[in-house]
Amino acid sequence: MTIVRALILGGLLAVSPLAPAFAEQVTIATDATFPPFESVDANGKLVGYDIELMEAICKAAELDCNIIAAAWDGMIPGLTAGKYDALISQLTVTEARRKVMAFSDIYSHPTFRFVGKKGANLDIKPGGLAGKVIAVQTGTPMDAFVTKTFPEATIKRYDGGSAPYLELTAGRADLHMSYEAQITHSFLKGDGAKDFELVGPQYTGKDAPEFGEGVAIALNRRSAELLEKINDGLAKIRDNGELAAIDAKYFGKN
Amino acid sequence: MSWDVIADNLGLYAEGAKLTLFLTVASLAIAFLLSMPLALGRNSHNAVLRHAIGAYTVVFRGTPLLVQLFLIYYGLAQFSAIRESILWPCLSSPLVCVIATFVLNTTAYTTEIFAGALRHLPPGEVEAARAYGMSPFTRARRILMPAMLTRSLALYGNETVMMLHATSLASTVTLLEVTGVARNITLNYYIMFEPYVTAAAIYLVMTLTLVLLFQLAQARWAGYLQARLG
Repeated sequence: MTIVRALILGGLLAVSPLAPAFAEQVTIATDATFPPFESVDANGKLVGYDIELMEAICKAAELDCNIIAAAWDGMIPGLTAGKYDALISQLTVTEARRKVMAFSDIYSHPTFRFVGKKGANLDIKPGGLAGKVIAVQTGTPMDAFVTKTFPEATIKRYDGGSAPYLELTAGRADLHMSYEAQITHSFLKGDGAKDFELVGPQYTGKDAPEFGEGVAIALNRRSAELLEKINDGLAKIRDNGELAAIDAKYFGKN
Repeated sequence: MSWDVIADNLGLYAEGAKLTLFLTVASLAIAFLLSMPLALGRNSHNAVLRHAIGAYTVVFRGTPLLVQLFLIYYGLAQFSAIRESILWPCLSSPLVCVIATFVLNTTAYTTEIFAGALRHLPPGEVEAARAYGMSPFTRARRILMPAMLTRSLALYGNETVMMLHATSLASTVTLLEVTGVARNITLNYYIMFEPYVTAAAIYLVMTLTLVLLFQLAQARWAGYLQARLG
């Protein structure tokens, strides 16, 4: 037994990657229920905009990165506890979150929208939507915004990014609020979405503080060195056009 | 440590505890009533009835409760025939789906617990009842049921504790019972230890109360079995 174990351990050591610039492997968690930003494909591999972006940053910054899927509810506590070194999961930078974690430079400025049934003609204005059911992912900027803005509505909260869409198509929710890019590039492209459309105004961080300053990579507040490296990597892929290429691949922007 | 967050949200925990108790008591009460006739049927001379009930308990004991809950809550909602049926106003409610799933699941276990106790009744007790000329109904009411229930008290007590703990799955379909409250606090305040330790303490108090109740019940109704063992 001991010999077998020694052989296995030896084998593992032999195939471990060459030492990168940053001494240890960087563990990065993502909540893979949010296509096209992060999801798991049929082979169990993490795919999406954030994953490609993170891989490009790691390569540019010469970091040995290991991106893993984590549950949304354990992600931020996992980061502050040191289980993960960073999070990339379309995390918006808000005042409340800055108190518990550090953020890289912002890499995109999302817009937020409601999606609902075609022809429902809901009057979306602050204080409105009385008696309507709004589905959101718990603890997101969308959750904070609808909780504050539509106190007359019933707000149903879910742990993942995909369950609200199931509830919307099942008719248990009248509206779901999410990132506009997620709605148009994932949900509305699916088979079950032909009766649904974007409704109401576009929101950004300028409309309500809950929507934050933009999207960034979250880090532990103690990791000043890693923060610097990730920002360097981000600056490099912004300059060499890689970031624009990933944007174009996913969203058709220039 | 951020215990002040817990203190600020004690009201939510109280609401959550109420819902946890409601889910547990409602599921157990309905399942108890269903399990008694099902346990008799499980031991029936009618092979079709016996095997039909057996097939039901195998399916619901052979699959995880969480899978059953997702199938009933999300899975059924996928079919437009169900969404347009008269059942939909009921099935669209998470509370109804959760209780239906819990009842189906715990009834399967309870039926087997009761049916097992029935099979192990001393044949003499049943024969004596027959010799007295009791009708099958009277026999079930006066001999089989009381003997079955007292003999399965310990096992059934475990099943009720399992059911209490299983109610935590209701949080996966938006119900804010104790676990749901803990998870919500986690998601809004980014702490894990304090909210879940608080939830654990609440479950522990409830479990100990249940265990105590069953010990009292056992002393009251199953004492004669103890004496026999001694």
